[in-house]
Amino acid sequence: MIMVHLLMLLVASLLGLFFSYMAITEKDLLKAIAYSAGQGVAYSILFYLLMAPDVVLAYIAIAVGIYSALLVFVVSKTTRYEED
Amino acid sequence: MKRILTILLIFVLIIVGAYIATILDINPPQKKVRPLGRLYLFESYYGKYSAKSPEVVTSIVWDYRGLDTIFEVTVFFLAIMGGLTIFRIEKREKEKIKDLKIKYSGGLTIIVKIVTKLLTVMIVAVSASIALHGHLTPGGGFQGGTALAIAPLLILVAYSREVLEKHGLTYIKAVLIRSVSLLCILVIVFLPFIHGYYLLQNQPFYPVKVFGQLISGSLFFYNFFDYIAIGMGFTAIFLYLSIPEKIYRRIIEVSKG
Repeated sequence: MIMVHLLMLLVASLLGLFFSYMAITEKDLLKAIAYSAGQGVAYSILFYLLMAPDVVLAYIAIAVGIYSALLVFVVSKTTRYEED
Repeated sequence: MKRILTILLIFVLIIVGAYIATILDINPPQKKVRPLGRLYLFESYYGKYSAKSPEVVTSIVWDYRGLDTIFEVTVFFLAIMGGLTIFRIEKREKEKIKDLKIKYSGGLTIIVKIVTKLLTVMIVAVSASIALHGHLTPGGGFQGGTALAIAPLLILVAYSREVLEKHGLTYIKAVLIRSVSLLCILVIVFLPFIHGYYLLQNQPFYPVKVFGQLISGSLFFYNFFDYIAIGMGFTAIFLYLSIPEKIYRRIIEVSKG
């Protein structure tokens, strides 16, 4: 049983790594915010598997809702594409 | 293409590393509760110095380590006040932009609007259940408050800022409600001190049960007021951030002359 949990942990953390890598390398800032929200979902699965439901409840609301919305507001005050 | 190759390489390295670590059994997962954990698990409800709450995290956050949380709330309060100070529009500045009319584009489509209407009610209900059952189930004031802040945010995006303000949720009101609930937290902190107990003391000053319902003394009140304070704080920030950039530009232009 603990093996399944560890495998799910690995998959969720790899998913989080993938999303955060894509968010860092993306030039379109709105897409980067969406990737970052995806990373938030992956990490909330991680926290749930690590038996921290209190953290999950705060994290999912902040990482997917508030944080993304704040960044969208900020991007709307600058330009959408990052220049080299 | 180079991006994908890099991430694939990292993935392969991590999976191989995890496989090797599993075979060698480095750092096996903890299966037993440590003595400190056992102490907290026992003392949160049964012990002599208990917080009378079956939820151990809440009893640690608002009782054993209550002072830390109070300072955390203070830091959050100062952060939001700083944000509001940067984005504020003063009265004399408001008069300068009287002639500036910003047309309301009508918001998003009707599908999004109807879904938002349904979702908003559900989000408020879920956030209230997270916060008010914070002393019984996982969750608490901060978690519930962040969930509550999503509801006005959705309305802000799907409709507009004016719709929120027309229905009575202006930023002045949000800041006011927030300050009042923070004051209530302070009152709950100081009440035991006035009656000869310690600051922030929970048991035996506050009642464990009210009308036969377990409220775990002060934990319920802390959760409730923190819920409102956090929710309204985030709402105030969003209301300020959603002020169009045009208005600020106009203010700068007018004041420069």
